[in-house]
Amino acid sequence: VADDRLARWAADRAPEVRAQAEDEAVAEVRAILRDALVRAALGDRERPAREPPGRKPAPERPAPARTGHGQWLYAIMRGGAGIDTAALTGVRDTPVQTVKEQELIALVSPVPLSEFGEEQLKESLNDLPWLEDVARAHQRVVDAAFQHGPVVPLRLCTIYESDERVRELLVRDGKRFHELLDAVDGKEEWSVKLFADAAALREEAGRRGGEPARAEAALGAGSAYLARRHSDRAVAEAADRLAGELVEEVHARLQDWAADAVVGRPQNPELSGHSGQMLLNGAYLVERERADRFAELVSELRERHAALGVRLEMSGPWAPYNFIPTEP
Amino acid sequence: MADERFLPTQRPHALPGRPEQANLADILERVLDKGIVIAGDIQINLLDIELLTIKLRLLIASVERAREMGINWWEGDPSLSAGSSADDERRLERENKELRERVERLEQRLQIGEGEPAGSSSQAGDRG
Repeated sequence: VADDRLARWAADRAPEVRAQAEDEAVAEVRAILRDALVRAALGDRERPAREPPGRKPAPERPAPARTGHGQWLYAIMRGGAGIDTAALTGVRDTPVQTVKEQELIALVSPVPLSEFGEEQLKESLNDLPWLEDVARAHQRVVDAAFQHGPVVPLRLCTIYESDERVRELLVRDGKRFHELLDAVDGKEEWSVKLFADAAALREEAGRRGGEPARAEAALGAGSAYLARRHSDRAVAEAADRLAGELVEEVHARLQDWAADAVVGRPQNPELSGHSGQMLLNGAYLVERERADRFAELVSELRERHAALGVRLEMSGPWAPYNFIPTEP
Repeated sequence: MADERFLPTQRPHALPGRPEQANLADILERVLDKGIVIAGDIQINLLDIELLTIKLRLLIASVERAREMGINWWEGDPSLSAGSSADDERRLERENKELRERVERLEQRLQIGEGEPAGSSSQAGDRG
């Protein structure tokens, strides 16, 4: 009889044990995968474990060193902009200069091709400290320009051989640049991010949903486990819906006050250092005179949803990176 | 330009007008993904940049978005493929049903199922 009981107990427990094992396995795989991706992203020289053999590139030959300088292009602004570049330095502390043509100003700085040649860039771009240094310098110059009127920021690593070649660009695309500058004149970009605390959202969703716990005593252990799992999932889904509504509402309110809006991908906490879940990474193009009201609106929304463990962060003003078409 | 009131309260290092202090994630998503693209003389093939910076792009976007960005090398491997939660649940329910049926069959064979509901396993629950 003891054997029978044991057999029944084992059979009844099987679904639960199996479900638990599956959950654990999935969680473990996720953790391993995430670690591997993050390690790879952080530039660890170790080859990721799952990379198929034979795909590792042959050891790179040192690229032939190029000599001379190229002109790194930061931003284009209106000819009348009163920017003083004397104290302004760009990537690798190179002095920022202006190239003027077609009533436009291009901000450039001479960069050594030994470091900024094609081959070198391909490697350097994957070196995060190098990239950070260059990206911050690029942004610093774009931002300095932005203090003096509308700007068209250039994508990182736009390099010309000479001032003459930059001039040719301004002649060729001058009309288009003026149009782009007109479109963002008097406007600035603000970043608003919404962070949520997953546990607080679930709690709220559970409170609103209030699905009564079923009498688990009436069920076998496996069924009880599945019922619990089902109810957990229902709460998780309700929490997702709640989060979706929240993001929609916040974004809609902000968008109302903005000339334009773009929703970006959530950032990686490894890089941004944020806590909680980034549910909204919005960029809003706001008329400078309306920026006050926009900030008040953010505060208002922040207060309204604070009880839900929601955090709203605002940063800016940024040059209108998100509102300049990437194609000229 | 920006009034102090507008400064993000949670992130005192992201001060408007002091972009060198801004969050690196904010900067990278802008200078790498936004800004007008013009072919310079130093030909950084954009496709190359896309490929070469996939690792960095993972860092810039969240890891969960990797699939959306077309990075899905693990999906071909069934041992790593978790499936959607809905699939998960269906499979689990099916397996549960199958197992219950097996238990019933076993009970009938052992002739111990009579007069006792199949699910009365409070002892099992206690022991779990």
